[in-house]
Amino acid sequence: MTDLDHTVSWNPARFAESCYDEARGLSAGQLRDMQLHWIRRRFSEMRPHLQVLERLAGERGVDTIECLENVVPLLFPHTVFKSYPLGWIEQSRFDLLTRWLAGFSLLDLSGVDSSGLDSIDGWIERLDERTELRVIHTFGTTGKLSFIPRTREEWRVGGLLVARCIRDWHGRGSCPDLLTARLPIVCPSYRFGAGAIQRGVASAVEAYAGGNANTLFLYPETRFSADIASLAGRLRAAELRGDSGEIVLTPYLKGRREEFARLERDRVPDLSRFFAETVRRYSGQNLYLLGVWPVLYDWACAGLNAGLRSLFGPHTVLHTGGGTKGRELPEGWRERIYEFLGVERHHEFYAMSELIAGSPRCTLGNYHLPPVTVPFLLHPKTGDLLPAHDRLRGRFAAFDLLASHSWGGVVSGDEVTLGGWDRPCTCGRGGLYVEPDIRRYAVTEGGSDKISCARANDVYRSAIEVFTEAEKASA
Amino acid sequence: MRPDCLRVPLVIRGQVVDDYARSFPTARAGDHFCTADVAAHVARLPITAPAMLDLASLRFCDVLDYLDFLSRCLVPATNLHVQRAFELSRRSSMLSDAMLREMYERIPTLFRRESVMHRASTLLGLEYLDDWLELPAHSDARTRARVRAFGARTLHIVAGNAPVIGPVTVLHNAITRGDAIIKSPWNDPLSTAAVALTMIDMARDHPLTRHVSVAYWKGGDSKVEHALYDPRHIEKIVAWGGLSGIRHVIQSLPPGVDLIALDPKQGMAVLDGDALARCESSGLRELARRLALDIGLLNQEACFSTRLVYLVGRCRPTDFDLACRLGELAFEELQALPESLSNPHPAFDPELKAELDALRMVDLGYRVFGGSANEGSIVVSPNGNPVDFAHRLAGRVANIVPVASVEQALAAVGSWTQTVSVYPDAFRDELRDRLACQGAQRIVPLGAAMMDPEIVTPQDGMELLRRMCRWVVDESPTATALSVRADGLASRNNVSSLQQAPAS
Repeated sequence: MTDLDHTVSWNPARFAESCYDEARGLSAGQLRDMQLHWIRRRFSEMRPHLQVLERLAGERGVDTIECLENVVPLLFPHTVFKSYPLGWIEQSRFDLLTRWLAGFSLLDLSGVDSSGLDSIDGWIERLDERTELRVIHTFGTTGKLSFIPRTREEWRVGGLLVARCIRDWHGRGSCPDLLTARLPIVCPSYRFGAGAIQRGVASAVEAYAGGNANTLFLYPETRFSADIASLAGRLRAAELRGDSGEIVLTPYLKGRREEFARLERDRVPDLSRFFAETVRRYSGQNLYLLGVWPVLYDWACAGLNAGLRSLFGPHTVLHTGGGTKGRELPEGWRERIYEFLGVERHHEFYAMSELIAGSPRCTLGNYHLPPVTVPFLLHPKTGDLLPAHDRLRGRFAAFDLLASHSWGGVVSGDEVTLGGWDRPCTCGRGGLYVEPDIRRYAVTEGGSDKISCARANDVYRSAIEVFTEAEKASA
Repeated sequence: MRPDCLRVPLVIRGQVVDDYARSFPTARAGDHFCTADVAAHVARLPITAPAMLDLASLRFCDVLDYLDFLSRCLVPATNLHVQRAFELSRRSSMLSDAMLREMYERIPTLFRRESVMHRASTLLGLEYLDDWLELPAHSDARTRARVRAFGARTLHIVAGNAPVIGPVTVLHNAITRGDAIIKSPWNDPLSTAAVALTMIDMARDHPLTRHVSVAYWKGGDSKVEHALYDPRHIEKIVAWGGLSGIRHVIQSLPPGVDLIALDPKQGMAVLDGDALARCESSGLRELARRLALDIGLLNQEACFSTRLVYLVGRCRPTDFDLACRLGELAFEELQALPESLSNPHPAFDPELKAELDALRMVDLGYRVFGGSANEGSIVVSPNGNPVDFAHRLAGRVANIVPVASVEQALAAVGSWTQTVSVYPDAFRDELRDRLACQGAQRIVPLGAAMMDPEIVTPQDGMELLRRMCRWVVDESPTATALSVRADGLASRNNVSSLQQAPAS
């Protein structure tokens, strides 16, 4: 097969359908040609229809893409997905929000009636009902929510990729094929919502578990609310306008307040009940278990102390990640979790809401970029492309070849070290990878102990405090 | 100690502690400074109350002599400590070398006799310093009261955005004759120590030298702070800075210690759109230049720096085009400011940059002038609301918000608003009381946001020097008053015994 044949025949969508490591047979040159081919094609197809891309290309004076370097000026800053005015949400102007979102997608949203809505949750549900969009929202911990357009098909492909990767990552067929094994899904979190995890979970329930009956969630009925997540950002904006004390909870939020407060209050006993039920229902069986490390660790400690170990079947799939959430866990914590669950390994990905495919972690801790994610490492201050050499640290950006109806190029908020240019990872896999030390720029900037009398980045109260106060006031 | 490390000495009451065991990064990547493990020396930092007596016997003229001599020693050209501090500031500061040099040159002038005299008489009152001052009493009062301002044992947690804040703290401590433990800021670790080292070189055993300690420890280090935050050791804490820092101090504050919080502040501008609309184009450029000064001076790192600019259309509808003309001119003028006053920010916030990029890409009616790199930017809002990222405005980025009523501008004023620049003067007269009641602490004409070093005023709505003192009262009832009072108490006792009598 010639290079050209490879380029033309290798379709990003095919990647998800094939064995996970098939594309790794491409040489670096073939891979680059294939990636360039698809980015150019996306650019020519999308530019006339995507207003935001058109403006960016016009402003940066980019009309053609000759090489991958030309893509850098066309990468969206991650902030573009939260560039709508917050006032629209406060005033329930979801019609304007829909129009704004339409600027990012080839889908026609003009027929969506967003009138009569009083919440972000309601707006997202309306989009779910009337369109192929399955929007993700971020968590707004540092400001307002981003909304990233995804389609139902993209979620299907994403789910397929996770399944292929888990099956083949440690050798073809080394783990169960989630698409056929019908493992029960166990997840100590929300079943519903439009955060990336809940969206992923929703496609897994359909594609892996074959429906809700084969699942166990901590909150099987409750939706993770975008409105509650957005409250922190709104508080900050209100404070700057001067009406800080007067944050008005919308009727929708008031309605959810008690439910939210109850969930917070009962979280610990609910979690114990959830784990007890997991053991009762699935002891000895193979599972697809999703969860974050600290929660799993606490469960493992309690279980091991009670004399439980190797609780589940040998083909249980543990899918986790997200670090230890700021908690210091004692040495050997991961092994204790393995011992308790009865697994020998876990599956973890470097993922972000803006990219459909995650990058799986190898045993050395490096995250290997799939061929459909074209990475760029940028200078943190100038935004210029850094040279293609190992061990350089900078801002991670990428072009997602799987994004089929929206522009795939985005600059993240993550500081990473990229490897694999000069020398492959010692795990033996070729291609580029992200080293384990990943940090958010928003956290590292400003140093550790900077004091200034000029007020900029602070906010007086968190959303949680406002909720608690509102609850006290109503009690 | 790393060989390339700059040394930040721990100074305890006239002595330099020879310990550089801890290393901390500076704001510049890969750079470090070394200083003592303060926890190992913390027991030597506080003093007991009787040790304050030497200060009380010091006359204010002695203080003036001392400080005037110090001012001559602090001249950067001849002072090695100050030169080292300047060098470290260059590695930590967000200000240009030219701005830093200007500030370091200004430090000695603060300590000059006439300057200190003016500051002390304006902000405190000389009559309270050396003697017990009799307070006015009404004519038939039988008690006379006298009052005197005494220094306090104070921990100062100072801000580091400008290298004069630490030296001014030393100055205030000398005027009030207090005992200062000064925690240097991470972003300016050496300027205060340079003053303390100069004092040691000049007069090691002088009480004013022996009542200043300067240390750097990482904010929140409980080994140091638990030992200090104790009413037996300190009477006051003067805390500058970030909300998280102040919140932390409040949480660790025991009863009996007075917190003087200098919270983070910001500046804003309120402009009368009608007056602007009447300007000729040269007049508008002049106003834009003044606005650029309020935004750009000290690279918008100061508490007075303007971030939000309200353009109030009072008699006419809100004029977006006028706001855009002003924005465009202000951006040009910002770029034209000389490097000694303002320059592209050396560490422009990448998140802010991303916000500006995004705003340009979506068609929501915002106008963004500049902001393509670190040169600064003026954003004009279309809708009467600040941009959602207004909390990030920094690095010479301001947001012009056209509004239909003055109330919308006033609503943005609060306890966080230090300085409000207003144009024109008639509008300032009209708004002054309303701004003050809303929480603003300083009202100036457009272009005058930066404080004039020639004048001294209350700061952040408070009289800092007076609050740094302990106001001790000495009462002298006349002999008659004393006997009357004793009789009165006795008769009151009699009444109560009479009331109890029937039961007996």
